Amino acid sequence: MIVCVAVVGHQNNPLYIQSFTDADDALKLHHIVHCSLDVIDEKVNNPKKSGPTLNETFLGLLYPTENYKVYGYLTNTKVKFILVTTDLDVKDADVRNYFRSFHAAYVDAVSNPFHVPGKKITSKTFAERVTNIVKSFGFSSAA
Amino acid sequence: MGREVAESCVDSILTEMVSTYCNRFYANKPELAARRIEAIGYQVGHQLSERYTMERPRFNDHLEAIKFICKDFWSELFKKQIDNLKTNHRGTFVLQDNKFRWLSRMSIDPSENGDLSQDNPEAAENKAAQMTSMHLYFPCGIIRGALSNLGIPCAVSADMSNLPACSFVVRIKA
Repeated sequence: MIVCVAVVGHQNNPLYIQSFTDADDALKLHHIVHCSLDVIDEKVNNPKKSGPTLNETFLGLLYPTENYKVYGYLTNTKVKFILVTTDLDVKDADVRNYFRSFHAAYVDAVSNPFHVPGKKITSKTFAERVTNIVKSFGFSSAA
Repeated sequence: MGREVAESCVDSILTEMVSTYCNRFYANKPELAARRIEAIGYQVGHQLSERYTMERPRFNDHLEAIKFICKDFWSELFKKQIDNLKTNHRGTFVLQDNKFRWLSRMSIDPSENGDLSQDNPEAAENKAAQMTSMHLYFPCGIIRGALSNLGIPCAVSADMSNLPACSFVVRIKA
């Protein structure tokens, strides 16, 4: 199950962050997302470590914690997508697909002429699409 | 799946936008009109670049990003690639399109400045050139918007000394 997704702008400004848990741990999840920004920076600026995946948008597993796995995705326009999941045996290909649909939803949201670039995404349609993607993720991994 | 728009509609909206800004909003301030049109292009380029770079790996350097503009981005916009790319390897790129779509069907209404063209053909030509150059601020803005969204701040100007060929000069800010 995905517990948190975040979209972060090129200056590390939060564009969208949403957690999907019943428990009151939003702050903890935001903290995890915050920490992962450093990991992304490190991955992108240290080409030796990341090796052949250097220029791929999908950054793979950023770091595992006790209960969560954190995945990252960096677009050409330096927008970061971060996903926190509780599933400990997720396939990379699955995560890649989900990031792709997140990215598509994001592109549609920022193409709205009323959206101000660099500001938070307030679109309800975007929030709905993200929620649907997150729900479908839970189903496919349970099956 | 992308939705498509008829080419004639895009042509018309561009013409109408330029004439509205030049003749109605900022009739006596062509610089201001040009800036506004460029700003609209900037926003369009900003949004389009996000969409068109979705499925590709990140760019290593400026040249790769410029090549993307010349090939994929231009194909998406105009169904053709840039015909010629020159660079001085110090941050200036010249992108030449031998038959720029948005200018290929451009003609100047002779009745509008009929007196001028009879008395003073040079002035009429000047006016025509000025009107045509107004139509180039929009594509300039698109290029600038796309590149700055890719993390490359730059200035873009257009040169149309031999129509319908048209070249865009991109100067990357260090």
